[in-house]
Amino acid sequence: MDLEDDTTVLTTLKSFNSFISRTEPQQRLTERPGSGTLQGQYKRSMELLEAADRLNSTNRYLQLDQEKKQMELSHKRARFELEKTASDRTRALEHEVDRNQELLTQIKKLKERESEMERNLTEKGDANRALWKNLEALNKKLEDRDGRLSSANQTVSTLKDEVRELKQKIQNQDCTICAQTLENQELQEQLDLQRRKYQDVSQLYQSLQATQSTCSDHVIKIKELERRLALQEQDVAIMKTVKSELARVPGMEKELKNLRGDNSFLRESRENCSLLKEEVEGLRKKLERMEKMKEDLVNMELEKNRMAEKLQAWENLGQSTGLNIRKPEDLSREVIQIQQREFALKEQNYTLNSRVRSAERSHSDVCAELSEQRGKTLEEKKKRELQDTLVRRLQKRLMLLNKERDGMRAILESYDSELGSTEYSPQLSKRLKEAEDVLQRTQNHNVELEAELNKTHKEMGTLKLQLQTVELELESVKKQHAANADSSCSATKEELSILRQKIEDLEADRQRLEEQNNNLEMRLERHNLQGDYDPLKTRVLHLKMNPTSVAKQQRQQEMETIQEEVTRLRELVRSLQDGGSLVQSQDDSIVPNLGLGLPPSKEVLDLRKQMESSELKNQRLKEVFQRKIQEFRTVCYILTGYQMDITTENQYRLTSVYAEHMDDSLLFKKGSNGSMQLMETEFSKTLGEMVSLHLHHQKSIPAFLSAVTLDLFSRQTTI
Amino acid sequence: MTSTLKGITLKGSAELVADFFSFGINSILYQRGIYPPETFTRVTHYDMILQQTTDPNLKNYLTDVVSQLKEWLFECTVQKLVLVITSLETNDVLERWQFDIECDKSAKESSAPREKSIKTIQDEIRSVIRQVTATVTFLPLLETPCAFDLLVYTDKDMVVPEKWVESGPQIIEQSEEVRLRSFTTSIHKVNSMVAYRKTDSF
Repeated sequence: MDLEDDTTVLTTLKSFNSFISRTEPQQRLTERPGSGTLQGQYKRSMELLEAADRLNSTNRYLQLDQEKKQMELSHKRARFELEKTASDRTRALEHEVDRNQELLTQIKKLKERESEMERNLTEKGDANRALWKNLEALNKKLEDRDGRLSSANQTVSTLKDEVRELKQKIQNQDCTICAQTLENQELQEQLDLQRRKYQDVSQLYQSLQATQSTCSDHVIKIKELERRLALQEQDVAIMKTVKSELARVPGMEKELKNLRGDNSFLRESRENCSLLKEEVEGLRKKLERMEKMKEDLVNMELEKNRMAEKLQAWENLGQSTGLNIRKPEDLSREVIQIQQREFALKEQNYTLNSRVRSAERSHSDVCAELSEQRGKTLEEKKKRELQDTLVRRLQKRLMLLNKERDGMRAILESYDSELGSTEYSPQLSKRLKEAEDVLQRTQNHNVELEAELNKTHKEMGTLKLQLQTVELELESVKKQHAANADSSCSATKEELSILRQKIEDLEADRQRLEEQNNNLEMRLERHNLQGDYDPLKTRVLHLKMNPTSVAKQQRQQEMETIQEEVTRLRELVRSLQDGGSLVQSQDDSIVPNLGLGLPPSKEVLDLRKQMESSELKNQRLKEVFQRKIQEFRTVCYILTGYQMDITTENQYRLTSVYAEHMDDSLLFKKGSNGSMQLMETEFSKTLGEMVSLHLHHQKSIPAFLSAVTLDLFSRQTTI
Repeated sequence: MTSTLKGITLKGSAELVADFFSFGINSILYQRGIYPPETFTRVTHYDMILQQTTDPNLKNYLTDVVSQLKEWLFECTVQKLVLVITSLETNDVLERWQFDIECDKSAKESSAPREKSIKTIQDEIRSVIRQVTATVTFLPLLETPCAFDLLVYTDKDMVVPEKWVESGPQIIEQSEEVRLRSFTTSIHKVNSMVAYRKTDSF
């Protein structure tokens, strides 16, 4: 802090010095021109003094300010420290206050605890008193218990005695147990021995098993070896047989050759044979055809004969019957006539039948009448019998009455005789008269009855006559019936049969219809199962946008796109087939189009790249070759003085550097053996000497060429 | 389920039958491979594990059809529901799963619930769905890509709702038919059967 203060002072001093050093040259500067006027000098000095005063004052002010700042700082520090201490104090105070409060609360708690303890104490005192009481009661009980205890002690002593006895028994038993344990130990030792033996035995057994297993292995090996031996023997046998067969091979080869020859011969013969067979077959077929033809012929002849006979018969028939049957129409006419007759007869038959039926009906009526008449006759007979009996009875009565009358008369006569017109006679005569009257009446009655009897007899006679007539009628009817019986019976039988047939037909119909019905029902069921429906009652609905139609639409769209693609691809293929020149241009236009539908496969891309690289290589090689060739030609031209061109195959044209005209050139032809020959040109004609010298004489083309060069060069330079 | 445990009403019956159709159609589509098996998820219903589609288009379609069917079942105007499987290459109908529905129209007048417990009905439904699953063993393999359609045979006098149009019965020529089990809610009786085209190899 102090150091900082010093530095501030120093800085103020420095600034002051600097200020002073600045003002001094200014004063010097101002002194030189201001020497003219004193007033001015004075003013200037006053001003300077004022300025010095001002500077001093400012300096002072700055110093004071500095001091003030320092003061303020120190003041601040002091205040800060004071505040700090004040806050510490307040904190301590607060702490103390808290502690005080805590202590107060502790005191309160302790007081509470004290009061509680006091309360507990009083409670404990009460409890103590109660316990004392309990203790006394318990002491009493204890005394009782002591009494019981003493009695119990007595029993205990007795029990102890018993215990002693029992202990003795236990000791005895211990002894026996000891003996048994000894025995047990012995037995265990024996057991150990046995176990050891058992272990030995098991070890032996294991070794035995091991040996057995090895034995079985050995046995297996032996078997295998035997099998191999057998195989070898078989092989040997096979070898022997093979050897013998080998020995037979040359003979067999000879045989084979022979057989091959035979075979070829047989093949030829077979071919011949097959040819012959085919011929035979053809001939046979022809033969068969011929035979068939023959048979047909015979049949035809037979038929013809038959037809002729038939014709004859027809003609005969016509002659024999006397009818005009010459033609089938006549016959048909006849038949129609016969049919008409038949119809007429049938009609007659029907009328007869109807008559028979009516006769039958009348017959049945007559029969009924007959039976009625019979009944009547029977009744009449009965009546007659009754009448007869009545007549007999009446006759008897008559007899009796006559007898009575006779008796009465006798009695009367006796009375008459005895009395003879006595006093009874009037009475008697009266009675007699009465009796006679009665008699008369009875006689009258008798007469009446007799008349009646006669009448009945007469009736009987008429009835009998009637009966006889009826019987006669019956007989006649019976006869008729018998006559008619046959025809009617047959008619009824026919009817019956017809009716039966009808019934059968109807039954069959019914069964057929039933079957049909069943069939139709089954079909209906099947149709129902297959999903058929009655369009009158039912209607089939589905959603307009069902998955099937959606899928179908999608499929169609796909198909369309695919077809478009196919057509595009087809066009591409066609263009590719048309030619390579067009490919390049179309390829560029079509490939991007295809990019959407069908990205070109990797292979194609690779191939294309390869092609491009190879083309590039070719191009480069061509360029290089061209360059090299050009270079070579120019070098040749410069070095040899000849430009070489290939006009046609195997022809080389040489044009010299020094040629006078553009057309002057030499033509060489390469022969078949590699030798070069000069061809005649306009220019070569002018070189007759050189040709004869160098080519014909020296046979050197280079010499000739150099001579020509030299000649031309000399000509040019001379010009 | 609106019906009580003891009896069953017409509405409850319609819902039960519509549920059966929903699950039955799902399991047929799964079993016959009309939609790829990875678009199906497993759900437990009728105390058995069933496959249900997750394809959103198919789901919408099925809910549309089943809700309409429920209405018709409630009105007792539906006679048959047919699931037709068609080959997309040849447009031939290869399979027809037919569910004949016999409605007891007297249930429309009397609202008294019938005495048949839902448990027994669900047992019957379970056996029908099991049989549908088992039919895969004898039905010919669907070798070409196929699509399905649902036909509903209804009474003629009914008004055709929007989005629905009339269709042919899509009968299979030369078919073999196999009857499957049936179940009844005592109001609706559902007889199921499958018809499939005879294969040429026999």
